[in-house]
Amino acid sequence: MMFDATADGRTIRVEVHGQDGRYTVVLDGRPLEVDARETGRHFLSVLLGGRSYEAGIEKRPGGYTVVLTDDVVAVDIMDATRVAPRPRVSGPARITAPMPGKLVRVLVSPGQDVQAGQGLVVVEAMKMENEIRTPRSGRVKDVPAREGQAVEAGALLVVVE
Amino acid sequence: MTARTFRKILIANRGEIAVRIIRACREMGIGTVAVYSEADRLALHVRHADEAYLIGPPPSRDSYLRIDRMLEVARTAGADAIHPGYGFLAESAAFARATEEAGLAFIGPSSASIALMGEKTSARREAVAAGLPVVPGTLEALSDEPALAQEAERIGFPLMVKAAAGGGGKGMRLVARPGELMEAAARARSEARSAFGDDRVYLERALLRPRHVEIQVLADTHGNAVHLFERECSIQRRHQKVIEESPSPFLTPELRERMGSLAVALVRRVGYVNAGTIEFLVDQDRNPWFLEMNTRLQVEHPVTEMVTGEDLVKLQIRIAQGEKLPFRQEDLVQRGHAIECRVYAEDPDQGFLPSPGRILALRPPGGPGVRDDSGVYEGYEVPIHYDPLISKLVVYGYSRRDAILRMRRAVREYRVLGIKTTLPFLERVLHHPAFLSGDFDTTFVEQVFAEADRKRERPLEVAVAAAALAAFRERRSARPGEGPGRARPSAWWECGLRDALRGRP
Repeated sequence: MMFDATADGRTIRVEVHGQDGRYTVVLDGRPLEVDARETGRHFLSVLLGGRSYEAGIEKRPGGYTVVLTDDVVAVDIMDATRVAPRPRVSGPARITAPMPGKLVRVLVSPGQDVQAGQGLVVVEAMKMENEIRTPRSGRVKDVPAREGQAVEAGALLVVVE
Repeated sequence: MTARTFRKILIANRGEIAVRIIRACREMGIGTVAVYSEADRLALHVRHADEAYLIGPPPSRDSYLRIDRMLEVARTAGADAIHPGYGFLAESAAFARATEEAGLAFIGPSSASIALMGEKTSARREAVAAGLPVVPGTLEALSDEPALAQEAERIGFPLMVKAAAGGGGKGMRLVARPGELMEAAARARSEARSAFGDDRVYLERALLRPRHVEIQVLADTHGNAVHLFERECSIQRRHQKVIEESPSPFLTPELRERMGSLAVALVRRVGYVNAGTIEFLVDQDRNPWFLEMNTRLQVEHPVTEMVTGEDLVKLQIRIAQGEKLPFRQEDLVQRGHAIECRVYAEDPDQGFLPSPGRILALRPPGGPGVRDDSGVYEGYEVPIHYDPLISKLVVYGYSRRDAILRMRRAVREYRVLGIKTTLPFLERVLHHPAFLSGDFDTTFVEQVFAEADRKRERPLEVAVAAAALAAFRERRSARPGEGPGRARPSAWWECGLRDALRGRP
């Protein structure tokens, strides 16, 4: 089976074959012999080149989050047979709530120019106020969020173009 | 005051600290009454307690901050004492007073002591009177913004805006330049209002690269007061502690002795009773400056318990029962080394944003010298309404080096899936040379660690391999007949199902 795996901003071709816990994983043309077994519903015990890893595997839309002891890596997985959609490089930036909470303050209004890193809204969650900043400079196009309103993770807060 | 024995204690709190207090009560043969909000029916403290009562809707102000509801439950359940834990009502003089007036014991200091020392500006005035060096700043809370600007001008920048009713890093902002003062003050006020119901703030000069070292104190109703040495709490993010240890690698025996004596002097001056913590900032020249007093049990109390062998929660209860402290200062020894790592439901890769949600899998560590004070379990949903602390991992070792190696081992074993936690971040801090050498201050996480950490080499090969294998196995098992039998229920599952249908366990 062939996949395109994207982690830390880099996409590589991955090929997997094998069965019953013994697999060959080809990373960018480099074959690795891997022994992988499930240890509970969300863990894989992985033996790779004699080293033992216990990888926590969380499924999420588009791929998996791999939880290792010293790092957490989001890996997007796409079946290589499918044509990858071209990543959008331009167009408006849609700033969404990174976690559920309450919108306590809106710091910008439509039409306003903002600099990358500037605070847009303040979301309160778990008793802390968190300033949500714009990833790039531009003009505020829309602020669908209202002060005082509860927001879900992923809810659209501000559109910057 | 004659000693009495509590039969039943109401714990006016939630999460890991409620569980910790319930454990102490159970070991003492005292009944426990839990309270819970509508968001907490399935919280661990409710499951651990002997009795549990609903006190209101999820927001703290409608539940865990409701003094009337707490007293009502105490009456209904027939509790004779209330333990407030930390946070919520723990430093509310009004709550302590209402408890006293209801004829119940408050497991903590008197309402008068809380009013005096819990209010940060009057605590600063008392500390000055007791002969403690105090960080320069305002001795009064400031109510209006022009006064704030004027005082800020006098103190100089950088400075700290702090909630007068504050604690736990909430309602606290560092202000580097005059232009940032008003926004920082507004944020601090708003946070303080929602956390403590009091939006008064004061100003304090920000010391350059200070260390945060605090002294644990205990005092009984018979005039005995001791200190239980220090806790080093300099590893912080957003002014909240993430790693604490005892002893502090920065303190000399003389400085330890001096800070201990200063702490006891302050306790004696104000006639303080029960457990408390005197927080100091220690500057680069090893000068201690009084910061504030916490008139309650501290989150990081376990490190003191590990090095002294004393149980602080049980001692709090015994003091509230009117008993004498079972030791004198000279009986207390600080033995070995203890470290606590706070496991928060937060994403360290996104500036420690809260990460509430369901815990898919939980594997706590075990083995020698490891203690996990947790408030969660597998399948539990961490609610958005409360503090993100889900557990405190504590280890003990003969030396600091032993303790660090043991903590690294324990953190590696500790796995939490479904939500982001500070565990992988803690693992990396425990390998940082500055942490190992003990040469760090409160700016460590943001100024020393963060930059290098962003450039760290990430374990991408194993992560990509694991993710690809997960995808491979998932697609295989989705096709009937091809997978390794996971699509069909296994034989023992069917057996178990048959037994369950027959009504067998």
